Order: sequence, then structure tokens, then C-alpha cells
Amino acid sequence: MKSAEELNRVMDTYADMVRRICFVHLKNRHDTEDVFQNVYMKYMLYESDFADSEHEKAWFVRVTINACTDWLRYLSRRKWVSLEMIAEEQAALDDTSAEVMEVVLRLPEKYRNVIYLFYYEGYSAVEIAGILGRKENTVYTWLSRAKEILREKLGGEWA
Amino acid sequence: MNRIQESMEKIQASKELRQTTLQYLETQRSRKNRFNRSPFPRLILAAACLFLILGTGGYSVYRIPVSYISIDVNPSIELGINRFGRVVSAEAYNKDGQDIIKHVALKNIPYLLAIERLMQDEKYQRFLSRDAQPVLTIVSDRTDTIIEELNTDEFLQKYGTQTYTSDTVCMKEAHMHEMSFGKYRAYLELSEYDQNVTVEDCHRMTMGEIQNRIDRCRLNHTGGNKNGHRGHHGNASGH
Repeated sequence: MKSAEELNRVMDTYADMVRRICFVHLKNRHDTEDVFQNVYMKYMLYESDFADSEHEKAWFVRVTINACTDWLRYLSRRKWVSLEMIAEEQAALDDTSAEVMEVVLRLPEKYRNVIYLFYYEGYSAVEIAGILGRKENTVYTWLSRAKEILREKLGGEWA
Repeated sequence: MNRIQESMEKIQASKELRQTTLQYLETQRSRKNRFNRSPFPRLILAAACLFLILGTGGYSVYRIPVSYISIDVNPSIELGINRFGRVVSAEAYNKDGQDIIKHVALKNIPYLLAIERLMQDEKYQRFLSRDAQPVLTIVSDRTDTIIEELNTDEFLQKYGTQTYTSDTVCMKEAHMHEMSFGKYRAYLELSEYDQNVTVEDCHRMTMGEIQNRIDRCRLNHTGGNKNGHRGHHGNASGH
């Protein structure tokens, strides 16, 4: 079992990232709290060591995505998230950000993952393929289709 | 900084969320420690409760597998499932499988959850990420129900899982060869096309390699596999 010091360290390092992945997938704050705690619980019970910080980060990304997917499936088997999250984050998001987030949250789940990992976390398509366990070509296709949708909805720099 | 980065930057884990989570983890840690120090080890306690609730007859019913699922990628693992749909045995038929079942808890949970837990395991994921399709083979008297549950499971759809059926005769033959009945079914199918292939050859091959050879052979034959004692029941790919 991981020590309290290790938990504090990974809380400082990955809490925002885990929260953002939850935001991209889940319906509301209550779901987020449950999945957030679940992810850190998995870390606390994880017995193996990580090769380096990149390995550790990729583990958090994959475990969080899986935890969100499981959560949604067991709750209601819904494939699309509602946009309650945006309302809950209204204090933090200005109009432009809320518009961008709304378009992102309306993307199918597989596109949301690649868009988040590519544009926010800065992973390459090859790295994303490794994390999600998919073929590189699949990731390239998803990225390209997601960009098309963003371009269509947001215009601007996506055009 | 792009617009997604700018917008995402504003989504953060609040101090409250961090604190609540750390408190929750500490509570869980103390519970686990308290339980570990308890004079009643967990298994004894669980067994005592089970005997009290069900009695010895009930427990016998619980622990007897009535269906089996062989899960083959390269790790070959067979799950025994009781009449309540819970996993009561997990056997590995190669070294990759043995390495996995040592650290993944598969027993006493619903079989779909066990398969998901297996596929989410980090070591197991390494085999899946090599573009290998998991093959699930079922021996059961309620095959149709199990196949339907497997083929409609969204998690399994992500991996394009193939499902097949087999029978107890083939299962016994497979175990005589120290092979999972899922891999043995694939061997039997391949041997219909290639008379020279042996069980030993298949022991050395991964499930993906056997499937590839079957696919190549199928291309050179017409009519497909008509053997009645095993059958293909489609795949769960949703893409």
C-alpha cells in the first residue's frame, strides 16, 4: 500500500489532470468525486513501481479514463454526457471557454479522449495509441475527425 | 496556447476535493490495517458467514462451476462459473496466464466483471495493445445467454472480442494436452485446413498466430467450418 507521503505527492502532481479527464467524461460533481476518489484508491492499492514519471502519468491517464467509462456504463449505459458540468463550472469558465468546452463535451467519447490528450496533455498520436491500447492509425483517424468537427463548430484557428 | 488548453486550464481539482479524497483514503487505509490486525483473518470470517447463511449444502452449490469461459490472447486463462454467474475458479494454461492470475483477483465476482478486470490489468493490456483480438470460448448448458451477454458488453466491444463455443469432450481433450479449451478449439479448426499442424506447434504459437493461420487457410478454401461440435458466434466489435 502506498504511503501518505506518496499520496500527497501524486495529489499535488495529478489532481488537476484527473479532474479534467473526469470533466471531459462525467455528468456532474458527484460523479467526479466518486471517480476521483476511486482513481486515487487504485493508486493507494497499486503494488508495483513505476519506471519513471512518464509511466506514472500515463498510468493515471489510463486508469482515470477506464474509471470514467466504467462509471458511466454501470450507471446508465449512456454514451453521451450531459452538459451539467459546464453549468457547475460557470464561475471558472468565461463565455469563450464555455463554448469551446461545450463543443468538446458534445464529441463522442473516443474523440474527447484523443482531443484532451493531444491538445491539453501534449501527447503525440503514437503515445496516445500506447495509453489507450489502440492502433496508431485509429488515433490519427479519430484526431482528424475530431478536428473536423471542431473546425465546423468553432471555426477560427480550427479552420 | 490553443483554445482547448486555455479553457481546460480553468478546470482544476478544488482544495476541498483534494482534502476529501485524502481523508477518504486515510479512512480506507486505517480500516484495512484494522482488519489485517484482526484475530479473524478475512477468509475465515467470509467462510464462517457463508456457512452460516447458506449451510454446507449451499456452499457446495456455490463453489461448483457449471459453465466455463476460456480467454485466450496469448495468456490462456479459463474461468469456472457457478450457477449464480460468479467466478469460482481461475486456471492458467501458459506462463503468460500464470503471471497474470497471480495478481489479478478474479474469484467470487460476476464473470463479466472478472473479464473486464482481467483486461484492464496492466500486464494483460500489453498483450492487447499488440492489436491481438481476445478470443472467448464457452462451454455451458446456457451458452446462448452467456454469448448474448458477452457480445452486448460495451467494454468487450472495444476490443473486438471473438466468441466461440466448445463442449466438455473437447475441454477434457484440451486439458490432457495441458492447453486451454479455447486454444484447443482453434487448434482443431486449424487442423481441418492443415493436416500437418500438431498440438505441440500450437502450444508454441500465440492465439493471434493461430487465428492468422486459420484466416489465411480460409482464404484458400471455400465452404468454411461446418463442424458441429464447435461454432463461431461472431465478434463484439462495435466499430
